[in-house]
Amino acid sequence: MSKTILEVQHLEKRFGDNLVLKDIDFEVEAGEVISIIGSSGSGKSTLLRCLNLLETPTSGDILYHGDSILARSYDQNKYRAKVGMVFQGFNLFKNMTALKNCTVGQVKILDRSQAEAEKIALENLEKVGMAPYRDARPDQLSGGQQQRIAIARALSMNPEVLLFDEPTSALDPEMVGEVLDTMTALAREGLTMIVVTHEMAFARDVSSRVVFMDKGVIAESGPTDQIINNPENERTKEFLNRYLTENK
Amino acid sequence: MKNKTWTRWLTLSFLALIFTLITPLTSTINAQDESYDQNLINEALEEPGTLKVGMEANYAPFNWSQTSSSNGAVEISNSPGEYANGYDVQMAVRLAEELNLTLEIIKLDWDGLPPALESGMIDAVIAGMSPTPERERQIDFSNAYYNSEIVLVVREDSNYAAANSIGDFDSARVTAQLNTFHYDLIEQIPNVHRQTAMDSFPAMITSVLSGKSDAYVSEAPGAMAATAANSDLMYITFDENNGFDTGQVNTSIAVGMQKDSPLLDPVNQALSTISQADRDQLMNDMVLLNERGESTGFWGDVREIWDMYGSQFLVGARNTLIIALISTVIGSTIGLGIAIYRSIPVDKKRNPISYFFYKLFDLLIMVYIEIFRGTPMMVQSMLIFYGSKLFFNIDMSPLFAALLIVSVNTGAYISEVFRGGIMGIDKGQSEAAKAIGMSHFQSMTTVILPQAIRNTLPALGNEFVINIKDTSVLNVIAVTELFFVTRSAAGSTYMTFQSFLIASIIYFVMTFVTTRLLRLIENYMSGSASYTVHESSTMPKTVERGSL
Repeated sequence: MSKTILEVQHLEKRFGDNLVLKDIDFEVEAGEVISIIGSSGSGKSTLLRCLNLLETPTSGDILYHGDSILARSYDQNKYRAKVGMVFQGFNLFKNMTALKNCTVGQVKILDRSQAEAEKIALENLEKVGMAPYRDARPDQLSGGQQQRIAIARALSMNPEVLLFDEPTSALDPEMVGEVLDTMTALAREGLTMIVVTHEMAFARDVSSRVVFMDKGVIAESGPTDQIINNPENERTKEFLNRYLTENK
Repeated sequence: MKNKTWTRWLTLSFLALIFTLITPLTSTINAQDESYDQNLINEALEEPGTLKVGMEANYAPFNWSQTSSSNGAVEISNSPGEYANGYDVQMAVRLAEELNLTLEIIKLDWDGLPPALESGMIDAVIAGMSPTPERERQIDFSNAYYNSEIVLVVREDSNYAAANSIGDFDSARVTAQLNTFHYDLIEQIPNVHRQTAMDSFPAMITSVLSGKSDAYVSEAPGAMAATAANSDLMYITFDENNGFDTGQVNTSIAVGMQKDSPLLDPVNQALSTISQADRDQLMNDMVLLNERGESTGFWGDVREIWDMYGSQFLVGARNTLIIALISTVIGSTIGLGIAIYRSIPVDKKRNPISYFFYKLFDLLIMVYIEIFRGTPMMVQSMLIFYGSKLFFNIDMSPLFAALLIVSVNTGAYISEVFRGGIMGIDKGQSEAAKAIGMSHFQSMTTVILPQAIRNTLPALGNEFVINIKDTSVLNVIAVTELFFVTRSAAGSTYMTFQSFLIASIIYFVMTFVTTRLLRLIENYMSGSASYTVHESSTMPKTVERGSL
């Protein structure tokens, strides 16, 4: 029924002597919204960054539709274009307007015409509510606005999967909502998303599956309801208790 | 008559020795009766039929620069529109005439004369140069074409105006020209305060005029010209027992030629046709020629210099600007190329062979940067310009050499500036570019470099301004840039303040205009400070930066 997009096998990542990810096995099906939760330093972001090769895994393999993206002959740039990424720090291209941020990849990577790229970019800017600000430059906008444009930028590439690396952690509290709303809308549309987040409400209400990471391993993973309401792992319980009491 | 020990040239002298050894030695010619062996002379010349003579054209009354051919001045071949005149020039005219050759005057910095001679760019130095033992090791000198005496130049209204022995200068503050034997002579004055040596006669004149020095050491003709140009100055001569003991050093001046040049005998023969009376008359004429009317005050003098040398100043300024601009552009391109190259990520494990060649080329780049940052541009100019002629017989034009040297120099500096600029861009920018599928090259050209270049513009502008000023060292390779022109004007008129005031105003205007233009470009690259908010139903409104 559902088809597997990404398959992570025995993934390991070291920074020098420091083993950050240990034997990670992990699959992503089309249409899934996966929340990766866990305390700081548990390896969530590193895992996400390995998924689009911003970090090169030390060993193990990542299969995209069955092909190893780590193979020497594999076109990694092409792969990255299909796996979008939204960063904690937005990382909008500072030398471009909002619109240009959303068109540059389309024109350069997907070989779309300028007109077509602009049309698609505007649709996506509209979707995140930022179309009126298409001529603004990143330093002229608030964090929440920038993050929504970053989402539009990623969407404009028509990604198969969209990775979110703590997309609201760098935002002022009053701006978190607008970004989460945008993400929720995307999830409802059926976009495949992997979200590293500390927003337990989002994990609980929007995601179809939750992955709990602890000390570089996937401690527990399963349907949202099961992980949030009936965790089996002690560490998961402890973590959730702390978070859910704090955030309610 | 300047006895500089060319410290900078010493590096070349070893190479010059080799050059001398490999040059087929021509047999000494037999004394000839009256006519000259034209074939032999032509063989010794770089260009048959033409006698190329090098001089500074800023050492009146021996050689100076003017803007017309009046009074028998000769056009300077490497600075069109500028003419050389003076005792040396008139001597050269007579020599060329006697030897049946066409005279070509080439203006060179004092320190550029020996290497130019050695490398064959010029055939003879006729520049008020004295044969000293050190010089005679590298250069053959003709018989003297002028003899002189050592004097002290003082202010007319000073206590020393009535002096008649060096003993009268007890405790005085005295200076002399850098790297000349004049400077060593100062020690013979009892209790003297020997001041720091200065690099030119105009500088010493200024020092005495301003009261910073009580006197400077000079040879009589230079002193005559200086006092003729400045009515506040006079010079003190000494009779044999009360003056300086010059010992071994010769106070005569002679024509310098390449070692074992077949020109030597013909030149001596030609010189012998000019009598002592002729020479004295000629020197007298030249000193008178150089004499100015009553000074019309400081600003009058400035005006006078501008009227006389204005066109030369403008040519110098134009060349300075051209060299600085083109070199900064080429240098920036080199620097940018290097910075981009150095930013390429090469995976040692994935591509061991590319990695090896990458590192090898990287090493070469590093050597280039270190060498050109680690040595003065003046030294590079000397080595590249004269060295290429001496060893590879590559005859670069001074302008080409200037562009080459300043460009590679700028490139070495700028590459580091760009490297810093690229490193200064937030890592998130390149990660975001990668994440939408851009290659390293695409992310560089569309995201990183536009930001890095914008950020390095102030430093680039800085480099341009530095280049405008640093072209002044290029006078050693005879590039007619602003500083060289200024020295000519100052040395020819003995009005240093006035000449350098004009130069500093021109330099300032050039750098000021440049920095303003660059600021405009910076602002343009920063983008508009406001943007339009598009609303479907309402009028677009403009939001100012910072209103959020």
